[in-house]
Amino acid sequence: MMRIERLGFTYSKNTVDECRVLEDISFHIQEGEFIGLIGSSGSGKTTLIKHLNGLLKADSGAVYFQGQNIYDKGYVLSKLRKEVGLVFQYPEHQLFGRTVLADVCFGPQNLGMSKEEAEKSARDCLELVGINESYYHTSPFELSGGQKRCVAIAGILAMQPKILVMDEPAAGLDPETKHMIFDLVEEIRKKRNIAIVLVSHHMEDVAYYANKVLVLHQGRLVLTGEPEEVFTKTEFLREIGMDVPQITSVTEKLMKEGFPMVNPAITVKEAEERILKVFRERGGAE
Amino acid sequence: MIRDITIGQYYAQDSSIHKLDSRTKLMGVLIYIVALFLVKNPWWYLLLFVVILALYRLAKVPYGYLLRGLKGIVILLIFTFVFRLISTPGIPVAQLWIFTITGEGITKAISLTVRIALMIIGASLLSYTSTPRELADGLEKAFGFLEKIHVPIHDMAVIVMIAFRFIPILIEETNVLMDAQASRGVEFEKCSVWKKCRNIFSLLLPLFLSAVRRSSDLAMAMEARGYSGEGETSRMYPLRYHSGDRIAYVLMFLFLAGVIVMRVVNIY
Amino acid sequence: MIDIKNLVHRYTIWESDTKKSKKTVLDDVTLDISPGQLVAILGPNGSGKSTLAKHLNVLLLPDEGTVWIDGKDTKDAKALWDIRSTVGMVFQNPDNQIVGTSVEEDVAFGPENKNLPSTLIQEKVADSLRAVGLLHKRKSSPFRLSGGQKQRVAIAGALAGTPRCIVLDEPTAMLDPAARKEVIHVIHKLNKEAGITIVLITHHTDEVVGADKIILMNQGHIIQEGTPKEVFDNFELLKKVKMDVPQVTELAWNLARQGIPIKTPVLTEEQFVTEMMRIYEDGKNREDC
Repeated sequence: MMRIERLGFTYSKNTVDECRVLEDISFHIQEGEFIGLIGSSGSGKTTLIKHLNGLLKADSGAVYFQGQNIYDKGYVLSKLRKEVGLVFQYPEHQLFGRTVLADVCFGPQNLGMSKEEAEKSARDCLELVGINESYYHTSPFELSGGQKRCVAIAGILAMQPKILVMDEPAAGLDPETKHMIFDLVEEIRKKRNIAIVLVSHHMEDVAYYANKVLVLHQGRLVLTGEPEEVFTKTEFLREIGMDVPQITSVTEKLMKEGFPMVNPAITVKEAEERILKVFRERGGAE
Repeated sequence: MIRDITIGQYYAQDSSIHKLDSRTKLMGVLIYIVALFLVKNPWWYLLLFVVILALYRLAKVPYGYLLRGLKGIVILLIFTFVFRLISTPGIPVAQLWIFTITGEGITKAISLTVRIALMIIGASLLSYTSTPRELADGLEKAFGFLEKIHVPIHDMAVIVMIAFRFIPILIEETNVLMDAQASRGVEFEKCSVWKKCRNIFSLLLPLFLSAVRRSSDLAMAMEARGYSGEGETSRMYPLRYHSGDRIAYVLMFLFLAGVIVMRVVNIY
Repeated sequence: MIDIKNLVHRYTIWESDTKKSKKTVLDDVTLDISPGQLVAILGPNGSGKSTLAKHLNVLLLPDEGTVWIDGKDTKDAKALWDIRSTVGMVFQNPDNQIVGTSVEEDVAFGPENKNLPSTLIQEKVADSLRAVGLLHKRKSSPFRLSGGQKQRVAIAGALAGTPRCIVLDEPTAMLDPAARKEVIHVIHKLNKEAGITIVLITHHTDEVVGADKIILMNQGHIIQEGTPKEVFDNFELLKKVKMDVPQVTELAWNLARQGIPIKTPVLTEEQFVTEMMRIYEDGKNREDC
């Protein structure tokens, strides 16, 4: 669906602060994928996702959406913005509508939906994120923090994007709200077969939800693959200053002590199954 | 554009200019501006420019920062230039559509634009070399006598300091908001006036709310650290003149005297 | 150090322009914190933990009940500045609590408000910055620091008031994991080396593992109080108030439920590995017999 080819970007070109932020980045995004984009602070993650809907223009390389180069002359960027929804950090801070419904309709209407279409889409999405109809005509500022976040996400979803990019969507939320939002995103992905790009510092979440992981380090993609492949390269990840899920670290330690496991686990469930298997097999031999 | 504002951008360095008392530097900028208005011959601007370049070098601020200060006001400069160019009466030298350009206009336009540019470059140096706190303290001391007639100079100094502290934060926040609303299909350039208003509103309201949120947080944090707005407070580094300041004052007044003398005797 | 008896706090909610109602956010909270302890207050959003924190620095006053700080009643207006210099506060958003435009200017803000002599302020600022490991950044602009560094500056700012207790209201909520570790490390160091009483408010369970005491809050009540071992032992209660537990703790619980003889609660990776290996070796020895 989207292909990024040898993308490079320099910040503040031709000034004293000139700084190469992205270098030679290539990857692709397909329908239904859940991509985790990880990297330490300052590795260029936020800069990279701003290229996906054309907020920033790369100075080398290309971005193809459905086969078309978005840097081609005459390419309508507003169409791309509709197809690639970007949820920034603390998205609730962008709310400004008089009512919840009006705020959610804002994006779709800007991007060419008729009033009726936009409202229908907004209602669908608000229902998806679990905002009760009784709130539709209240001010978004009267909601709780978690609810505001959900409304803001609905505001992007209502544009019916084919790719949903989210920058640290759970930042500052308590565990309950966090799980709710992640489960919701997962549900939407399955329902609409859209692609998700999740930018996060929380390896546990990425390991649990993503089915492809990209590791960014100093502006370059240094590792790409399935979560199992990426997170079990613990030494490499630590070398570039990144965490691994606690469960990976602990199962790795177990293996070092001689516990018969083939590979470190990346989720609690996986670890549980593997450890139980070790004991069961031995039980069976007895 | 908005990223280019240099107000309140301190450039940390260890230089003799940085070490000067902020009152000295304020006086310096004042004298520099007076000098700019006193000289008439464009060649003297070149001299003032050389002086400023020397001061930047002395302050160890890279020359790149010189242009940075100008970038923020580039529109103002162009506007001033064009306005002066077409609105000064005199001997016509060219005709552009309905506008007449005069010889006097060209001279005036160049000299006024250069004057503003030089002024900004000079004032930027002040903010590169003194922290807003030092500036606020300097202003507080310099205008402290107003406290006697119940002008709340001390409170104003605190306000100035906090304003400086939050300028970069709010600029950053505006950038994020612009990106976020652009992702929701907002275009800030090509659209009708009504839409433009609505679009600007989509920035202003969140920005306003964030400022309110931040200020109530900040008020609480300040209160928790013993700020009451009343009573005596002290300073970690009280303003004190050093030998460097004395030398600077002497040089500054010599410079001013020189400019005045030249102006009076009309040597060009 | 801190003694709270039957504290009740209610917020006024304006339902419309004329109608108002009261919402109880803290209901009959009784709590005792002794000097030198590192106490963590854990609970989901809206459990009243931040409101409780504000009572410790007299940013709020009780509607009912009493809060004593070092034997002084917070309702006593004369004790206000005394209490505020005994208890330092650090808030959630690092950007919104830094006043100064350079690191040292900010740290100096508290002592300056107390009208201390300049040399003493300089000393305190240097000491506080050294304690959080940021002395080399003293001249930097806070804007150029990382999130973790900013929060450490805020801690130094509280420290410069030479408090005997520091209350941190969700200091890590806006930080990434690396910065969170950095801040938690500094907090533990201050507690161990300088003997400062710490009240850490958070919803991240992995941060409270090293605390002396955990207070679990939900809907304005303290629902449990005890050592990390005691609190994590009640897995069901933690799940009920929707708190996450560290992955090792959860894994150990799941294994225990499947009949593996692992001693719960497990709080650290090391503990898990030792437990697991013990069980594994035990089994092997039995097999060998």
